[in-house]
Amino acid sequence: MSTGYDALEDRYLKPQRGRATMLRMAKDIFHQKKESAIFVISVVITSVSGVLYPLALGLAVNAVLERNASLLILYAVIFFTLYFVQFFSNRWMTLSSTRVAQGVIKRMRDTSFQKLQKVPLDFYSKVRAGYLISRIENDSESISDFLTYQLPQVISGVSTIIIAAGIMFYIDARLALFSLVVMPVLGIFTLLLQRRVRTNYLRTRRTIAAITGNLAETIAAIRTFKAFNAEDQAYTRFERLNRDNFSANMDASRLSSSYGSVIRVIEAVGIILVIYEGSVSLLDHLISLGILVAFIAYVQQFFNPIVQLSQLYNTYQNSMVGASRIYAIIDSEPERDVGSKVMDSFNSSIGMNDVTVRYDDSVALEKVTVEIRKGESVAVVGRTGAGKSTLTNVVLKLKYPDGGSVTVDAADLMDIDTKSYRNLIVPVLQEPFLFNGSIFNNIEYSKSGITREEIQSLIERYGMEHIFRSLPGGLDSPVGEMGRNLSEGQRQAVSILRAFVRNPEIIILDEATAQIDSRSERNIINAMRKFRERGTLILISHRFSLITLADRIIVLEKGKVVQQGTLSELSTQSGVFRDLYKRSVG
Amino acid sequence: MTQEAGLESRINSRKKLGVFLKVFEPVFFARPYLKGGTLIFIAVIAAGIISNFALLLVPVYIGEAVSALEVGYYGDITRYSLLIVSAYSISALFNFIVNYGSQYISQTFAYNLRKDFVSHIVKKNFLFFETQTSGDLLSRGTMDIEATRNFTLNMFSSLFPTIFMIVEGFVLLFLVSPYFSLLFALAVPVLIYLGMVSSRKQRPIWRRIRATYGRLGETLQENIVGQRVVRGLGGEQKEIDKYGNLTEEYYGENYDVGRIRGVYNNLMPLTVAAVSSAVIGFGGYVDLINRTSVGGIVAAVTIFAMLTSPVSFLGRMIVFSENSRAAIGRIEEITSPEEEEYVEDGGEALGPGVLSFDHVRFSRGVSTILREITFKASPGEFIGITGRTGAGKTSLVNLITRYYEANSGTITLGGRNIKDISLSALRRSISIVPQEITLLSGTIRENILFGMEASDDRVREAARIASISDFVESLPLKYETPVGERGITLSGGQRQRVAIARAVIRNPKILILDDATSSVDPDTEITIFNNLKEALKGTIILMISLRASALSFADKVLILEEGELREESGGGEEDYVDRL
Repeated sequence: MSTGYDALEDRYLKPQRGRATMLRMAKDIFHQKKESAIFVISVVITSVSGVLYPLALGLAVNAVLERNASLLILYAVIFFTLYFVQFFSNRWMTLSSTRVAQGVIKRMRDTSFQKLQKVPLDFYSKVRAGYLISRIENDSESISDFLTYQLPQVISGVSTIIIAAGIMFYIDARLALFSLVVMPVLGIFTLLLQRRVRTNYLRTRRTIAAITGNLAETIAAIRTFKAFNAEDQAYTRFERLNRDNFSANMDASRLSSSYGSVIRVIEAVGIILVIYEGSVSLLDHLISLGILVAFIAYVQQFFNPIVQLSQLYNTYQNSMVGASRIYAIIDSEPERDVGSKVMDSFNSSIGMNDVTVRYDDSVALEKVTVEIRKGESVAVVGRTGAGKSTLTNVVLKLKYPDGGSVTVDAADLMDIDTKSYRNLIVPVLQEPFLFNGSIFNNIEYSKSGITREEIQSLIERYGMEHIFRSLPGGLDSPVGEMGRNLSEGQRQAVSILRAFVRNPEIIILDEATAQIDSRSERNIINAMRKFRERGTLILISHRFSLITLADRIIVLEKGKVVQQGTLSELSTQSGVFRDLYKRSVG
Repeated sequence: MTQEAGLESRINSRKKLGVFLKVFEPVFFARPYLKGGTLIFIAVIAAGIISNFALLLVPVYIGEAVSALEVGYYGDITRYSLLIVSAYSISALFNFIVNYGSQYISQTFAYNLRKDFVSHIVKKNFLFFETQTSGDLLSRGTMDIEATRNFTLNMFSSLFPTIFMIVEGFVLLFLVSPYFSLLFALAVPVLIYLGMVSSRKQRPIWRRIRATYGRLGETLQENIVGQRVVRGLGGEQKEIDKYGNLTEEYYGENYDVGRIRGVYNNLMPLTVAAVSSAVIGFGGYVDLINRTSVGGIVAAVTIFAMLTSPVSFLGRMIVFSENSRAAIGRIEEITSPEEEEYVEDGGEALGPGVLSFDHVRFSRGVSTILREITFKASPGEFIGITGRTGAGKTSLVNLITRYYEANSGTITLGGRNIKDISLSALRRSISIVPQEITLLSGTIRENILFGMEASDDRVREAARIASISDFVESLPLKYETPVGERGITLSGGQRQRVAIARAVIRNPKILILDDATSSVDPDTEITIFNNLKEALKGTIILMISLRASALSFADKVLILEEGELREESGGGEEDYVDRL
């Protein structure tokens, strides 16, 4: 089966390309001023002392030839001191690179997490949760490797090359030119390979992404594969991708391994050029033997970073792709939230005026006009897909209308401060979602500082004692991942309590699920009946028993309001309502 | 007392050495996945030895060239140049084998390990998937396998060559000067000791890092899945703080590792440098006194220079190994044969027959879910199953497909105990539409077929029975319309209907609808049931539902209550559930 999702996701979360990502990451790195300064300084110290010891060695050799013992000891001590300095600078480099790397990752994770709390809710219907998690978790980890281990190598490599070249030219420009004569060859060779390395690399990356995607899908659909005894199919689908990945990696490796070998041969040529030219200069007494020794060491030093840098390409690309994927999350458009008018109380009504909502090219709500007055109980009914949940989201300010407006007490909902509004209106959502923790934690989530006694008295007031009786730990019982330790009824009750502790003016009950049994349903109805006495209730449901609570019923069909009225009025009219509930209405 | 203390310290040091050797543990893990690769191993290791030896000869030749120049034998330069180029070329050639070969080994390892991983994943039984989160399984199959692959790669391309390089370096130093090799011999135990301490100190931190990483993922997942609740209750700031605290913890733990690396990893090259400086000082002094050639110290110092960077890489190998060992533990939980079922292939297709439960009992842990269940269902019957949430409805149907095994009692199909029927034959004759529908990324047609082969007419017919054909025909691409992994573009009711079509096209002996029409509106639901009854005349249809309207359609209704079964004749308009 085709893999079209990645392309689709890229269209929605646009990744930046190479250069822009690199610059942005550099900005993130230097954002930590102190750490990055220590980092750069320690890397430079490491390289400088590294570059100096061939010189110390050469001078020591000259001291031996000159039979000067004290000078020899001096250079030996300097030689060791250089390494000793390097120990400290390396230590600082390790610490600061860890700080920089982990700091960048923390920042990326934190900001993308913050952005996830601000994006429009549709975002989550377009981008898969699994992929989001993989971006924020795994992609940032691939950056860590690059920043902690490879970046210091890059910087020290580049500075080693520059400083070594500087010293060589200072000591003997002629010999330096001879040692560097192989450089252009190396450069041309690298450039020629670059293109193929890149193609190969992209292939390995594509194949591994396909493996991950396939594995994710297989795990998600495992029950279906088993149910239809299609395990072989899952296995075969995977096997092909696994093989592709293997051959992609081997092709890439053949190229990079050959590259490494060719570089060594070029290095050998560099060394003998120095020895040849050096011996001629030596013969002419232009240089000393010690200097020649130092030059030979420099040529070798030169090539190490180049070999290392060439092997960094994969890690570098990997982390750039990773970073661009995270930046894409950070860059997603947040929900425009400009409302600043604080609302302390709900006084008259919520009105929807000609509200239209579109998802891509389909219309979810079309010119819906509805008024819900304070103290009223209103039910919104309709077939699946009629727009009921969209209406909930609009009233909760989770979805902004594409046309028309919503007014609360005559103020436009867009101008109202979201935080204060959510204190007035609280949802009890379909598929009650619970956080891992205890029942108490879940209720406290909605209102910090609430005591167990207060919750207990609410439970009694709404007649829910028997629901939690079976739990040995009472309010401190753990709910398990996604609330799996609790029954559907218990989860529903926690969700209702979570709404009640806020003492809201309005409750929106969104479709008590179809799977719920009648005893749990009765609990909900009882609780809602009590709430109705003092607050405004909006019920989104297609269960007849819940609808009987409403003073007024609004019937939606294909995104439009088709009927409105009391239960008895609608029961006698012919229309969608009677079609839906003919069994119950009789 | 002292004797005891001595013994204890001996045991301790042996334990410490054992801990250090555990660095190689991944080798043993990797072995079964590299069967038949012995020759390649030997080739890679041999190539490593040769390549390094050739490389280490270069300083020796440079040293000799310097000595020759020192005494004015310029004629020898050509010879040394040729030797140097040959040594480099030989080293380069064999180094290609080392790099390519170790990549080959590590990729073969990963390839086979992934294969094994997936073959075990599909064998795991249902209970296994009820205790595991899919995100965690995925990270085991990707990140953890990659961590072990990375270590295998570095083991062959760096760790082994480095170890040989140290040995060869020692030999060559001995040839240059026995004194130099003696100095170097002093450094080796120091290097090993530093490695041991570093590894021991890092291990507990790495374990913590893994755990924190897991919690980061869980928090993120919870936040994403629960977004509507988070926003509806205005919990954004709380979530940000919770996540921020975790990333802070993660930062701290990684920094702790950095502190250890900072000291020990850098002490290793410093040790080599100390020896190197001693060589310059001591060796140079001897040369100076004896008026011997300086070529020796040049060679020795260059050898040390060549050893420095592999030695500092040893420190990183410890990090890789720790990472890989943590990963191995997690992979082994999947590749071990525990919690697996065997779906033997083949087995004849089942003929039509009566499904019968005889005193079937099923319990999970301490709680009994079903007790003494007895009933019969004949081909062509439409049976409703109802009962309160958690009454055991889904468990009951899961016993028929043998997702769960009954603790006692027998289930027979066409007179044969289902335990005697191969899982493959059994499951091929049963179609189930579960509560939670998963659609694979692919077209609607592919999702209905789900690996089966059937004509387009049969696909259309199945879609008609499931009452989804009108909708599909209204799409521009019709049956070729792509749907997402979890059916993102389809509504809940549409997904359920695609899943019904998928079940119907197989023309099953038993069709199980587990609350399969909960998101379909009541009108359509009745249409679907009528279609099913008409099209699947020889099929036993078991329908789990709580809706009275749906249950009223059944020929008979089984009511589960406290794990026991009550049977009612169907067709009435009563609200079964309300009477519970």
